[in-house]
Amino acid sequence: MSAGTESSAPSAPVFCAAHLLDSWDERYPQAAFAELATATDPVRPDGTLVVAARQDMTEFLRHPAVRATDGVHFNLGGKRPLIPLDLDGETHRRYRGLLDPLFTPKQVARLEPAIRARTSALIDAFADTGSADLMPSLCGPLPTYLFIELLGLPATDLPVFLEFKEAVVRPVGATEEEQQANMRAAGDRMYDYLTAVLAQRRAEPPRDDLIGGFLTTELDGERLTDQEIVDICYLLVIAGLDTVTSSLSCLLAWFAEHPDERRQVVADPGSLPRVIEELMRFESPVPLGHRWVTEDIDIRGRHFPAGSKVEVIWAAANADPNAFDDPQTVDFARLHNAHVGFAAGPHRCLGSNLARLELRLAVEEFLRRIPDYEITPGEQVVYTNYGVRAAIRLPVTFPVAHG
Amino acid sequence: MRVTVDQSRCQGHALCAMHAPDLFDLDDEGHSFVVADPVPDGLGEAAYEAEAGCPEEAITAEPRRPAHPGQARS
Repeated sequence: MSAGTESSAPSAPVFCAAHLLDSWDERYPQAAFAELATATDPVRPDGTLVVAARQDMTEFLRHPAVRATDGVHFNLGGKRPLIPLDLDGETHRRYRGLLDPLFTPKQVARLEPAIRARTSALIDAFADTGSADLMPSLCGPLPTYLFIELLGLPATDLPVFLEFKEAVVRPVGATEEEQQANMRAAGDRMYDYLTAVLAQRRAEPPRDDLIGGFLTTELDGERLTDQEIVDICYLLVIAGLDTVTSSLSCLLAWFAEHPDERRQVVADPGSLPRVIEELMRFESPVPLGHRWVTEDIDIRGRHFPAGSKVEVIWAAANADPNAFDDPQTVDFARLHNAHVGFAAGPHRCLGSNLARLELRLAVEEFLRRIPDYEITPGEQVVYTNYGVRAAIRLPVTFPVAHG
Repeated sequence: MRVTVDQSRCQGHALCAMHAPDLFDLDDEGHSFVVADPVPDGLGEAAYEAEAGCPEEAITAEPRRPAHPGQARS
């Protein structure tokens, strides 16, 4: 998860992420990230310390003085700490103990038929036309539909979620204050929506879905409060929607532009789990996160003063030539792929197993139905790297299967 | 040969269980544990691969082998 990249203007020629964000090739940020990973003690112009080298990251993240928030700043338009993203220590462990079991590979495997069916239905809508923009027709709606099913909400509420995640992940506004205000307004609407849903669900017989589970589960012998459930759902909405949408768009864009590798995968769908890990390393759709240091610490020779805000750049670590052989090459047979595409440390992505399953099944279904496709001639993929990396425009053309 | 998982470091990335299901399984919270101890013949490479592929450096395969240039290790 990411709190988005803050766009502070680069003033000095300091080697920093903000500088890179203004100069890099949107299609190919990996080169700039590799440069950042090998820079010595990088900082942003505003003084934010940057951790970018893969070998520094694991040790930094597991240090007990490294926290998710300073207790004042919360992520992504939340007015209260997001559960569990904005919590630390024992409190965080208690909630993860409650939530982790819901998102293990075995648990999420139950969703396979629903994921395949929804993917298939979305592909049905354009399979006969020979062309589509895969962002609005597949990558955008798929994770949102699945999330709605997972929570047990009506599919007709899809627009509520699409509007909310767009407003939070890519906030509109001329100034940062305006963007923050718009993000908070969208956040308030989502809190209200979820509170209303919860009131309704408490009045109904229990159902076998995530909200039903939250209503009956106990944490240390006590039921969750409405506020806790709303806070958990709020995070799941943000974390579950845009990240999978963006990742899927990056994967399908990559396969569109790499026909030889795509044919390998079409011929051997069993290779997809490893292929997806390698593409998550290379694309790193969620590029960075923030941490706060609560006491003076030294990590591998670098000093982090108490009170520092630190930007941890997963995308840089994943492109680090000191950690990966030839990181700029996508290598499906890569060994030693200790990538941090799903972050690392205590806040490692809660939904990574669900994300992997959605990505694998969506790619598998798409390539089964449309094994041969290309970026529409005369068009090109448009990427954004703001907040989360995504192919926001993904126009493809493909032969239509008859009969 | 033995392979171990440091439970205080494992964060449930699940890569080891995905790539080497004969060596690792996941508990109810999704954390890894070893299911084959000692490591059966023929799975030595898989054990080293799991060690080098763990984002949390939570897996240790012994005896050690010389560091591979592509390992994310210090």
